[in-house]
Parts: sequence; C-alpha cells; structure tokens
Amino acid sequence: MNWLRSLLKDNWGWFVVVALLAVLPAWLNKFELGLLIQVFVLAVFALSYDLLMGYSGILSFGHALFFGLGAYTVALLLRGVNNTRVFGLTLNIAPLPLPVVLVVVMVIGAAIGAFLQVVSLRVKGVYFAMITLAFAEMTFILSASTELRPLTGGDEGLHGIPIPDAISPTTERTTFYFLALGFMILMYILARRLVNSPTGKVLAAIRENEARAAAIGYNVFVYKLVILMISGMLAALCGALYIMYFRSATPDLLGVGRTIDALLMTIIGGIGTLAGPMLGAAVQRLASHTLADLPAFEKSWPLLLGIGYILLVLFFPYGIVGTWRMRRSQVIRQVRRLVGR
Amino acid sequence: MPIEELLARIINITLQGLTMGMLFFLIAAGLSLIFGLMDVLNFAHGSLFMVGAYVALTTFWLLGGYPLSAIPAQQLGVLGFNTAPVLVADTNLRFLSAVIVGTMTGLLVGTLVERGLIRPLYKRPIFQILLTLGLVYVIAEVVKLIWGPAPLGMAKPALLTGTVDILGRAFPIYNIFIILLGCVVMVVVYAILRRTRIGIIIRAGVEDREMVQALGINVQRVFTGVFALGAGLAALGGAAAVPFLGGMAPEYGMAFQLSAFVVVVIGGMGSFPGAFVGALLVGLARAFADYQLSPIIAQGIVVGMMALVLLVRPQGLLGRKKEGGH
Repeated sequence: MNWLRSLLKDNWGWFVVVALLAVLPAWLNKFELGLLIQVFVLAVFALSYDLLMGYSGILSFGHALFFGLGAYTVALLLRGVNNTRVFGLTLNIAPLPLPVVLVVVMVIGAAIGAFLQVVSLRVKGVYFAMITLAFAEMTFILSASTELRPLTGGDEGLHGIPIPDAISPTTERTTFYFLALGFMILMYILARRLVNSPTGKVLAAIRENEARAAAIGYNVFVYKLVILMISGMLAALCGALYIMYFRSATPDLLGVGRTIDALLMTIIGGIGTLAGPMLGAAVQRLASHTLADLPAFEKSWPLLLGIGYILLVLFFPYGIVGTWRMRRSQVIRQVRRLVGR
Repeated sequence: MPIEELLARIINITLQGLTMGMLFFLIAAGLSLIFGLMDVLNFAHGSLFMVGAYVALTTFWLLGGYPLSAIPAQQLGVLGFNTAPVLVADTNLRFLSAVIVGTMTGLLVGTLVERGLIRPLYKRPIFQILLTLGLVYVIAEVVKLIWGPAPLGMAKPALLTGTVDILGRAFPIYNIFIILLGCVVMVVVYAILRRTRIGIIIRAGVEDREMVQALGINVQRVFTGVFALGAGLAALGGAAAVPFLGGMAPEYGMAFQLSAFVVVVIGGMGSFPGAFVGALLVGLARAFADYQLSPIIAQGIVVGMMALVLLVRPQGLLGRKKEGGH
C-alpha cells in the first residue's frame, strides 16, 4: 500500500482535478460540456506539441499537418469514398468501422512524423521548422484545391460525417465527454511516463546538446524519429476526435493558424512542463469563447489573439506553469511576509 | 508540331518562368541575407511582400481618385472605369509612386520589426522565430481588417501595357519589366555586397558575426539595415507583382513565403547568388509544370525539389557549410 500512498501524496492535485471533471457533467448544460470536450482534445494537441518543442527541442511549424490529416482521414474513411475520380484515378473505399479508422489515423500520424524526420535527416533547428511548415502549407493548399475537390470537398470541406450512435456528440454528449476526458488522462499519463523514461532523458540530453549526446553514443536520429512518431500519432488522434465532435473537416484544420494555436497554448502554459500546455489549452479555448462573443471583439478577435501571442513571446516566455515553478519560492515568501510569519 | 512553334512555346514558358522567378528572388534575397547575417529566419517575409503589394495598390487607386472602399477587385484595363474624379491622370506616374510608396513602407515596417520585436530577443533565438510566425498571422489579420478578404487588383501603367511579339507569340511587356527589375536588383545588391565597405561588413558578418563585432563594428546597426533592406526588397516585389498576378489576397503572403523557403533551401541559406539561381530554377520548374500538368502539381514538384536538395546537398546548391559553432 506504500506505492498507493506515495502516488496519492505526489499527485493529489491531479486526483482533485480529475474528480472535479468527472462530476462536473451533473451541473453543466450541453453547450458547456461541448466546450470542455474541445478543451480536452486541444489539451492533448498542446501536449503533443510540448513533447516535441519542450522536451526534445524539436521546433516544428507543421503540427497542423498531423491534426488536419488525422481529421481528414476520419472524415474520408467513416464516409467511405465512392467512385471518386482524382488525377485520373478512380478511388473506391468502403466505409470502415471506427476502431479500424482510429488505428489507421495513428499509423498515418506516425508515418508522417517518420517522413518529416527522414526528409530533414541532414538538417536541424530552424531548417526543420521551415520544412515542416512547407509540407503543412503544401497539404493545406492541396486540401483546398479544385483538383482534389471530389475527394476533400475543396475549400468547403466535408460535412455530415457519420459517427456511431453510441458515442454521437449530439445525442450522447455526456458519453462523448467522458470519452474525451479519458483520452486526455490516458495521453497525459503516457506522456509523463515517456518524458521520465530513459528515452525521455536521452531526448532531454539531445535538446540540451545534440553533438554531445551523439558523442556519448546515442543514435540521435532514432530518438528523434521515435518522438516525432509519437507526437504525430497523438496530434493525429486529436484531429480525429476533434472532427468526431464537429463532424466536418475543413482546410483550416491544416492551416498555419492551427499550428499557431498549438504554439499559443504551449507558451501560455509554459514550454516543457506538460501540465502547462494543457492548462494553456483551457485558458486559450475558454478565453476565446468568452471574449470572441463580445460585440467589441467580434471582428478583430483573431487579430487580438495574434497580438496576445506576440506579447506572450516577448514578455511572458515561460508561461503560467513555467513562471510559477521559477518564482514559487519567491511567491511563497511574499505571502508569508504578508501573513506575518 | 513544327519545330518553330515548339521553340516559340518553350521560349514563352521560359519567359513566364523567369518572371515568376524574379518575384521569388525579390523575396528570397532578403530572407537569405537576413538568415545568413543574423541567424533569424523571418517567417513573416512573405507578409512583407503582401504589405508592399497592398500599400502600392492602395496608393495607385487613391492617386486615381478612388476612395479606399472602392478599390477594384480585378485587374482592369489601363483606365479602368472612369467614375471617380481622377487626381493624377498619368498611370505611369501613379504606378511609379505606388511602387515607391510600397517599397518605402516595406523598409519602414522592416526597421520597426527589427528594432521593436526582433532585437529584444537576440538572447532567445527560438523565440525570435516564434515571434515572426506570430507576425504572419497578425499581418494577415490586419490586412483582412483594412482591405477585406477578397483579392484586390491594380492596373498596369500605360507604358508597360501591351505585348511584344516573340517568334510569333505575344508576350506581355509587363512581364519583361519584372524580369528587368529583378536583374537590376540583382546587379545593384550584388555590387553593394562586393564593392562597398558596408557590403564587406555584411559578407564578413555572414561568415563570422562575433569576429566582425570584435573588430569594433556596430553590428546592431548593420542588422537593422539588412533587415530593412530585405523587407524593402520583398515589398518592392509585392508592389510589382500585383498587375502580373492580377490581384493580391491575404493568403498570398503565406504562398509566396513558401516559395521563398524552397528557393533559399535550394540556393543555399545566406548565399545571395544562391537565392538568384534558386529563384530562377523554382520559377522555371513552376512554369513548365504549370503548363504540362497543373498548378497544384507544380507546387508539389517544387516542394519535392526542396526535399531532394535537403537530402542530397543540405547546404544548398551554392551554399557553404558553416564552420565552427552555431
């Protein structure tokens, strides 16, 4: 029972949060539940980004690629493709059951991660950011192109994706809520396990000094490959869940705005803190929701979001959790002085 | 197909590709120099191209007496519709001032961005590019707020309207103007880099920044200058591109940014001649693939070219490997 006690002692905060989220549906209406579902999914998206940027020092500007392709995969495979002609080829894919589709999504996410790492085998740093952005934008352009319109619906996208009734976000929203919550908890545990594993330590070493990690004898390429595949898989799954909730896939899922979202959530919460980006996702999504509806901000909300992002980069680079961890002792001392102890 | 016709067609497509290539060059030149000198990869360079274009086309129509809300969407004939009171009738003059104002705005925005946003972050290089990525988003939104999401056009000046006959095929004079403009910029900037003191400092800075600093040169000022110059060139490209492209829309910034990335990767980061060669290669590849296949496939081919260069020769065709740290 000792391990249980230490588990409770180290993670009591998490248990409180999870317990709260588990009982919350009793008080929330359908719309608020929907908002929280989005927060959960985006939290994992931010988490997958943090695994790359925060823990492995890999700067990807193409994270939307995983998200969007995961989304489009779900849309296409759940609907099936019927006698569609693209580039002179006739495509026919029967609709697949959801579990199979999710496996395909994971495979695709991992495969893209591997592809990006292989292509950028001989470069790193900003080059990698540039290459990932190039491929993401290329896919974005493709998804909206007239050539692929029969398949992707062009710039209008695909709508009315059939979701099994048992987890339908419209009729069974509470079920979907717990599904998303479970997904988030599971992915967080996995991610934390990963960063604390020997592999995670090697990745941190690569982040700090790649040449030295290679000199010690670690195969830097393989480690980066692994983390890119895992992160890609997570992000693609997020895209899949996101689209199962919204039931339509549009090209903006692949756009650079989606990558900026991931960056924003990560920076708000704190780079390299895991919990931070998830908190950032909640802050970003809930703030967007409450502020974007105000008439004063209606039109200029995306602009304000962008300016907010720039201000964060300039003045608050460590985010909420990062700054808290750095200043914790200072804050506690201040509070004690105020209380008079 | 008779051989003359084939030849004429090839020449026509080549010229079309060179025109595109020159526009890519105007963006990529600054991108490459800025990265080479100060290790800042400016993701917002395409946005500066777009800013130049929008400011230029607005100047063009405002001088023509049109209010901001009545800027025509599509490329029109020389005189457009003459419902507005014409302030400056001469389209040549209007065009020239439009290009100059657009370029100046690029220089100004470049200076402000370097001074105000990039400079505080030299100690945190990752955040610099995070910031420029944010700028892409902000600039696109600002453009949408001011000019709206639909494309806006600009007429060609009277002097550059019409076509010339090349082996029996008509070719727009305006495209030839862009090709010449690109060549002039290439020669002038190359001469500055090779023949002047400031050029020597810039080239030395690309090689080894710390050493230049150690020799007592104010690198900060050179940084601002190069950043502004690069932004100005991109804005010039944008201003000149509008009549050629038929219009400018908020998405074009990112599209041209993408091409510029491909160009600098192929040509070699930090290499000015590399940017030129890379831009022409990409322009030609685009033009021929456009003609034979489709625009989307053309873009795909170009990104594929980049991937290939990265695998085979990651420093680019004309780039040199940086020795030592970084």
